[in-house]
Amino acid sequence: MRNRSRHGWHRVVNGVNLAALLVFLFITLPLYWMIASAFKTPANVGASPPQYFPHPISTQNFSVAFSQNTFGRYIINSVVVAVVATVLVLLLGTLAGYAMGRLPMRGKFTVLVVLLMISVFPAIAVVVPLYALLRDIGWLNSYQALIIPYTAFYLPFAIWILRNYFMAIPHEMEESARIDGASPLRTIWSIILPQAWPGLFTAGIFTFTACWTEFLMALSFNVSNNYRTIPVGVALFGSQFTVPYGTLFAASVVAVVPIGILVFIFRRSVVSGLTAGAVKG
Amino acid sequence: MKVVASMRGRSRLMLIAAMGVAALTASACSSNTSSPAASGTATHAPSGSATSGNITWWASPITTTSPDPRTVLISAFEKAYPNIHVNLQSAPTDTDTNRASLITTISGGATSPDVFMGDVIWPAQFGHSGLAQPLSSYFPSSYWNSFAPGLVQGATYKGQVYGAPFFEDQGFLYYRKDLLAKEHMAVPTTWPQLETEAAALVHKGVVKYGYVWQGASYEGLTCNFMEYLGSAGGTALNSGLTQATLNSPAGLEAANFMHSLITSGATPGAVTTFQEAQSMSAFATGQAAFLRNWDYGWSYSQTASSPSSVVGKVGVTPLPSFPGQASPGTSNIGGWNLYINPHSKNIAADVTFIKWMTSPAAQTILGTQFSEIPTVQSVRQSAAVKAKNPVLAIVGDTRLIPRPAQTPAYAKVSQAIYTNINSMLAGSASPSSALSAASSQINSAVGSSSGL
Amino acid sequence: MSTPSVAPAPGGGVDVSGPGEPSTPRRHDVFRRQQARLGWGLSAPALILIAAVTLFPIGYAIAMSVSNVSATGSGFSLSGLTGSNYSIMFHAPQWRYALFFTIFYTVVTVAVEVALGTAVALVLERLTVGRGWMMALLLIPWSLITVVNATLWAYIYNPTYGVLDTIFSHIGLGSPVILGTRVPAIIALMVADIWKTTPFVAIIVLAGLVMIPRDYYEAAEVDGASGWTAFWRITFPLLRPTIALAVLFRVLQAFGLFDLPFVLTQGGPGYSTQPLAILAYNAMFRDLDFGPGAAVATSTALLVVIGCLVFLKVFRAQAGTEV
Repeated sequence: MRNRSRHGWHRVVNGVNLAALLVFLFITLPLYWMIASAFKTPANVGASPPQYFPHPISTQNFSVAFSQNTFGRYIINSVVVAVVATVLVLLLGTLAGYAMGRLPMRGKFTVLVVLLMISVFPAIAVVVPLYALLRDIGWLNSYQALIIPYTAFYLPFAIWILRNYFMAIPHEMEESARIDGASPLRTIWSIILPQAWPGLFTAGIFTFTACWTEFLMALSFNVSNNYRTIPVGVALFGSQFTVPYGTLFAASVVAVVPIGILVFIFRRSVVSGLTAGAVKG
Repeated sequence: MKVVASMRGRSRLMLIAAMGVAALTASACSSNTSSPAASGTATHAPSGSATSGNITWWASPITTTSPDPRTVLISAFEKAYPNIHVNLQSAPTDTDTNRASLITTISGGATSPDVFMGDVIWPAQFGHSGLAQPLSSYFPSSYWNSFAPGLVQGATYKGQVYGAPFFEDQGFLYYRKDLLAKEHMAVPTTWPQLETEAAALVHKGVVKYGYVWQGASYEGLTCNFMEYLGSAGGTALNSGLTQATLNSPAGLEAANFMHSLITSGATPGAVTTFQEAQSMSAFATGQAAFLRNWDYGWSYSQTASSPSSVVGKVGVTPLPSFPGQASPGTSNIGGWNLYINPHSKNIAADVTFIKWMTSPAAQTILGTQFSEIPTVQSVRQSAAVKAKNPVLAIVGDTRLIPRPAQTPAYAKVSQAIYTNINSMLAGSASPSSALSAASSQINSAVGSSSGL
Repeated sequence: MSTPSVAPAPGGGVDVSGPGEPSTPRRHDVFRRQQARLGWGLSAPALILIAAVTLFPIGYAIAMSVSNVSATGSGFSLSGLTGSNYSIMFHAPQWRYALFFTIFYTVVTVAVEVALGTAVALVLERLTVGRGWMMALLLIPWSLITVVNATLWAYIYNPTYGVLDTIFSHIGLGSPVILGTRVPAIIALMVADIWKTTPFVAIIVLAGLVMIPRDYYEAAEVDGASGWTAFWRITFPLLRPTIALAVLFRVLQAFGLFDLPFVLTQGGPGYSTQPLAILAYNAMFRDLDFGPGAAVATSTALLVVIGCLVFLKVFRAQAGTEV
């Protein structure tokens, strides 16, 4: 706990802040390396010894990524797929997680285990039959070709997370709502959800990141350039014998900026959401 | 809450299992009837007579500089055949990822892409599994004879040709002519000579690395190994493709030499992590005196923005030989062929497209505008192409050796070679034990019908 | 059956149900069945979607693992029911090593990430100034596409122009071949993985941390316990469910390790950094051995499930709490 007898500079230089500094360094140094390299000229990216700071600073990597490689299109596709899939997962997962966490359903543990097995099954083995299935339905090269499989494969995970958080909410509130005649959906919306906000957040960012970074299915189902997502787009950079690190990093920097902005904007609600659970001590 | 191991729970599980079984039986029954009729004896399309249609061409990026050779070729083709529209689909640059994507697509029965650009080592694997359409019947033998020797042979499996050679890669020796001149060294023509010169340059501190090549645990190492093996007069597989032949005096000479390159200091130990990109970069940033790489090495090293600091300081020559063996040393065949998807709905247009892409017109564009080695013999030997750069000028002087890719089990054969040779280079195996391990793994790969 | 109504129960029994629930046993049953029906109704959309999309492919993959598969131009042909794929798999030294490597990798990375993640979460919780900034910063490595993360570390580990090579030669360690030697390659993989995924664990643990009521700590301070004691006696036990959840998820992810070795080492040198997922991938998409590849994939899934179930059972027995 905080030792109240420290004052002066000891208050600043204590274990917590030192640890925070170390964490900060550990996280940022490779990040800095990526961002700095994105701003080097393509020639200097492969310079040996490496430049610690880009000199001259150049945006050539960015223009190559976006013009030559239509990277903007890939970002849009990734955003659409990830957002829709996350929303769907949270929607369906909340209902199912509530049911499995708080309602007396026989056999639900079996279902949960089967869900676990599904979420764990390596995507590699599943891609080919799923491809044939999508081809038969005629959904290849579309947004739904990715949204539906992502939702289906990431739902089990989300259900587990949400169920875990829902279970921790005391029953009394629900009972009083039921006495008052509230429908189950109403109960979920106004009473359960606000309490389980950290769970929703966790499930949401997990699903979003999983969709954002998924490669194998995106590579196989959406080959048309109009529907490619970022991970696949990145695999197209360069040529057979060259890895254009500069262009790759430039594209990644751009892909990361929206997430950084979002988290920054919502950081207060994220923090307060995570601390809301503490109020009920 | 206790786990209610009730009948309801168990029967629910059984229901799911039953659905699974139903699904798999349904799929097993349907998988053989799900595709349109496309088999080896396709309709006899008159070669190149289709003049209209839409085709999708799947090809990975050929170069990183603009203009893009693929779009240039497509525009030229569409000018020649205004009623055929070609849609380009860009494929992943990594050849293995490219192959995985194609396997998924074609074995899933897709009708698109119609034509795909694939690696020269795929014909046996794709032909064996029905993933590429046999092309022999679509073209007269005069067409196949127009290609440089050895290329069509490499695209043949069980008597049928599966790919039309599109452009070729070969291995060359690049050297720093300024350093050799400064140290009064001649351009090496034998491998021991190269080793001595490289080691000397390193020990004198003139360069950080002497001779760099591709020694990482991947397909490129098989290419490198085949070059040493061929130079020593050896082969990897017997002609019936049933037995490994690389555990021979020639194989031992090749392996021992590769090993000695590292122990003598001519080649850095880090070469076990070098693929083309790393070795090229080491040479182009001036850290290495000698480089074995494909033909693209010339344009890369002569373009300052690659990055390269050796513009104007590079010479290129065919690979050295072993003393007492034929000269020059053998160069491995790389490159890309054009294949047809067996499910394509427009085979006649595909044939037209392929015919044009392998015609002198297109091949000249590839050679003179983009410095790729043409596959058509007449274009290769034309003055315009030879004058383009020093690499294209000496293409006719090289001796070629293919990889043992005629067997469908080639992926495992190659893996046996590169993992064991890489272990040898890293110092964890002796040359003879590496060769015998590779040999036995190759034998089990070509012997059994399936394995891990 | 009887309709739910509010008529008093015949015979009048002891009221065993909570407030808001019907007061007689029979009505209680009816109520519970209603609730169960509601439950299945609410879960139905999710379950139906999952079943529709995943059961066929997974069933097909399992079917591939027990039959002779050959890829033909018109799809796969599965013939016969055979255990030969599994037999091939069990006898393959590559598979045995991949299994060992995957388990070893999972155990080490998860242990380090949990320790580091908990430490980071503790730091974050105590941080008064800039907590929001730190969280935003933390999420960035985790939001990198795995392939990009792998490329970044490939760039760092590169022997010719990687910054690590320069740093090592500056501090006198020479020029070690990182990705080409077995142990350094494995460590390099783990470092890249830990860098990216520790924030994930940290966020989960943080969410659990903030749920611990303040009064517990205050009571402990009154009793004279502080610092480490407070952590081990109060924080850690209450964190156990959250940490268990984080461990569970990380184990699931780590077992599917693919992108990092695919980009950094391609499973090399030799097979020393080849996990099960890459083995399955190579078997299916490089060698076209779909049967054994499917066997590897199916057995991997089975192993993970069994491991998770065992973990859950053990955890429940120990902590006596729900997970």
